[in-house]
Amino acid sequence: MASIVRPALLRQACNAAPTKRMASNLASSTMRHASPLSRRPMQSAFVQDALPKASRVAAFHATGCRPILPPLPQKIEGTLNDPTPIPDPAPTHGSYHWSFERLVSAGLVPLCVAPFAAGSLNPAMDATLCALLLVHSHIGFESCIIDYFPSRRVPGVRIFLTWLLRAATVTVGVALYSFETNDVGITEAITKIWHA
Amino acid sequence: MSAPRVLNLTLRRAATPGLTRFTPAGRSVQQRFAATEHISASDASSILVKQRLARPVSPHLSIYRPQITWYASGFNRLAGIAMSGTMYIFGIAYLAAPALGWHLETPSLVAAFGALPLVAKVAAKMTIAFPFFFHSFNGVRHLVWDVGMGFANKTVMRTGWTVVGLSVLGSLYFSVFV
Repeated sequence: MASIVRPALLRQACNAAPTKRMASNLASSTMRHASPLSRRPMQSAFVQDALPKASRVAAFHATGCRPILPPLPQKIEGTLNDPTPIPDPAPTHGSYHWSFERLVSAGLVPLCVAPFAAGSLNPAMDATLCALLLVHSHIGFESCIIDYFPSRRVPGVRIFLTWLLRAATVTVGVALYSFETNDVGITEAITKIWHA
Repeated sequence: MSAPRVLNLTLRRAATPGLTRFTPAGRSVQQRFAATEHISASDASSILVKQRLARPVSPHLSIYRPQITWYASGFNRLAGIAMSGTMYIFGIAYLAAPALGWHLETPSLVAAFGALPLVAKVAAKMTIAFPFFFHSFNGVRHLVWDVGMGFANKTVMRTGWTVVGLSVLGSLYFSVFV
């Protein structure tokens, strides 16, 4: 209780290593002049126990500092009070993209089973499988780039990877066409290698 | 003012009757002296920025309890990247092969794979089959969520482990017996 009235008194009490009795005497002496409204339960024991712990220097961390994903360079656009920018709604990047992605995925489910179950070569089915696989892979890689390289943090890397992915998809498209035309096609290739 | 604050000030005034006129409300009787200097707002913000970088980061990935939800999701993405990555790399290599002197036509691939020992063949098949089956079955699980079904926590856990079980069975069957 004495600590509220005189912080210096608190420090003296702390350094003098008082007994419980002494602290209660200190508290009660100041309380004698106080009004009945200010009477509080004696907290001398609490003060006594709290002080030695508070005056010890404690280590903040028990283990070394090794952060996964340390904080990136701090850069604030505008002021701290500006609201987060929200992109303009556009169905081609929003709901249409989502629906297209699900349609491609749903289409791939029977298309991965049928050619191998049928057993015979079918170039049309092979071509459809290649096309859907390519589009599905592209959308998947794009999701990874969007998730792991936010444009407000690493804009250059994001743009580079986006264009790298587009170039790679076009290249693989050409490669798959070449494989289908000049070679046996992926269904037959997988069947042959599997039974080799 | 709040009751504890009133109590505080009353006790202060009671304890030091001579100084009540000069003690400002809410401040300690002690005085501390510290050297301060004036810096511009931009200097202050750059000190703050530097200090922010020195702060410790709370653990996140290292302490999150392993659960079928996020482990399955992570493995689904990993499987997709592995398979598509293989396809992309093979495609680019197939186009570049004539210039580099490699042989990536089907007969060469079949001959190379056929020459491997049985254990290596089964292992290689498992390496392709398990991600393929896991990604396919988990993809179906995702499509079920997309029509709005199966979001109860128990259902999510059950379907997750079902997908793992089916993938193991499917990949074992197709790697060993087909």
